[in-house]
Amino acid sequence: MIVENKTRRRLRIVVAWFVTALFVFPLYFWTTTAFKEAKEIFNVPPSIWSFSPTLRNFEEVFGISFGFLRQQEVLPGGGNFYMAPRLWDSIIVALFSTALAIIISTLAAYSLSRMNFRGRHHFVSWVLSTRMMPPVAVAIPMFFIYKDIGLMDTHLGIIIIHALMNLPLAVLLLKSFFDDIPQEIDESAIVDGASRWLIFRRIVLPMAMGGVAATAVLCFIFSWTEFIFVLTLTQTGLKTVPVVSSSFVTSTGTAWGNMAALGVAAMLPAFVFILLVQKQLVRGLTLGSLKQ
Amino acid sequence: MTAVLPKRIKDILLGDSPVPWLAPLVTMLVVFTIYPLVYNIWLSFHEYAPFKRRLVYVGWDNWSALVNDTRFWDALSVTFTYFFVLLAIQVVLGMLIALLLDSDEPGFGILRGLLTLTLVIPPAITGMMFLLMEDPAFGVLTYVLNGLGILSPDAPILATSSTALAGVMLADIWQWTPFMVLIFLAGLRSLPTEPYEAAMLDGASSFQVFRKITLPMMSKVIAVAVLIRGIDLFRAFDYMFVMTSGGPGTSTYTLSLYAWQQTFSFVKWGYGATLSLVGLVLIMIIANIFIYVSKVRW
Repeated sequence: MIVENKTRRRLRIVVAWFVTALFVFPLYFWTTTAFKEAKEIFNVPPSIWSFSPTLRNFEEVFGISFGFLRQQEVLPGGGNFYMAPRLWDSIIVALFSTALAIIISTLAAYSLSRMNFRGRHHFVSWVLSTRMMPPVAVAIPMFFIYKDIGLMDTHLGIIIIHALMNLPLAVLLLKSFFDDIPQEIDESAIVDGASRWLIFRRIVLPMAMGGVAATAVLCFIFSWTEFIFVLTLTQTGLKTVPVVSSSFVTSTGTAWGNMAALGVAAMLPAFVFILLVQKQLVRGLTLGSLKQ
Repeated sequence: MTAVLPKRIKDILLGDSPVPWLAPLVTMLVVFTIYPLVYNIWLSFHEYAPFKRRLVYVGWDNWSALVNDTRFWDALSVTFTYFFVLLAIQVVLGMLIALLLDSDEPGFGILRGLLTLTLVIPPAITGMMFLLMEDPAFGVLTYVLNGLGILSPDAPILATSSTALAGVMLADIWQWTPFMVLIFLAGLRSLPTEPYEAAMLDGASSFQVFRKITLPMMSKVIAVAVLIRGIDLFRAFDYMFVMTSGGPGTSTYTLSLYAWQQTFSFVKWGYGATLSLVGLVLIMIIANIFIYVSKVRW
């Protein structure tokens, strides 16, 4: 933009790396905590660079053995901190709720992007307004409704509520991706006698596949990180990773190392996913209203 | 299959009617948004009677109880403090960092990538991360702040009512300032270069350029970011739930947390529902006024 002199340029580079380092530090610290023995976590001053790494925390949390636990302590499937099934719950909920949200929202987004009907603008506003509802105002009545209809503490119940939570994002975002595809393509296909459904299936959907994938990634991440619905609508049947992390806080102290190990395992897939959709990220975060 | 359907139905399914396309979405939203909302309103006129073990009708009692409930007013004030303070900090800090990163220097793409990482961490786990770092005995942040003399060792950040909210806010600032940075950065990168060239010829200072050119051209981007972040800030729950449970006293009680605890910890189902509705109505009013004034469109 504006031509900078050498000193200003250097200063910008140094400050930029420093600021980013500040933001990365908590992640670094949390990750190293996952590899520390309990006694090193409680060091004062906190040990940042030097500690003897161990995989013990991961062994306890995922019930796998790397030889860091002494034989009699290996408790696959039995230990208090064995969390592998909770990771599985998280994956099931995130995958199926994403699929449900994508199926419903591609259909809706297509018609909102392509068809002119009365009240379309109001309909979009209504979808947006459901995004504003505080989760607690849905979670409280849902607790009672789910108890009545038997969805309490079930995977299906959480899948539905997570899909619902992601619908406004998915509909608005997909609409913006469909809007990018020129209307003329549809119109010429209609002239050739193609039905709406055929156009959607064979033309628009394949052309918007990148956008659909980006939307799916965001839905997956929001389900993966969601807290209050799982906290409210599950008891013992299932728990996702964010909610189960509080079970490391015990009456005899907090198992920080184990908690960090689970946290690290939960972050990794999300990190990979988000880096895959860098190009569409801003559009996704703003529900399709800003294009990069 | 299609041949045997009556023409009218065939028209609806295959023709230009939006009905079949929108039906699944509308069903979901009605069943899981409208119905819970109506149920919540119904619930706010009832209360669980422990001795009868069922809900009884209490009229407007829950609503009028709000007026004299000091914990409700505390929660409201915490919610608004959290909302305005963090919105201001995240917009300003986000803009500063975005301006810093708005450059083609080698490696800045990596920095942008690193900043996106905070966005995908479950907020509950972020809360735990900061709980560990702010631990009074061995937290790394406590250690640094004590060393700098900003905090005193006898006043642990999360256990002192004057600093607890700031301690929670740190987690939110860390996690969501990059949200602002990325959005602002995308806006800055897409600005046209001509006005800047003209300003340079006129010898304008960088601050003047920012104030007179960048800011006006960025207004839509800023408005969208503020709207989306604002909605989430208003319903803050996760960080307080894992870090402080609202304490000490009521210093980190947000409206969402207070509503949740009334319902599930104190079995005041009707009152919890009432509180959650207050939050819902407030955010709807604020967001719609903001959308109207800022003319943000989808």
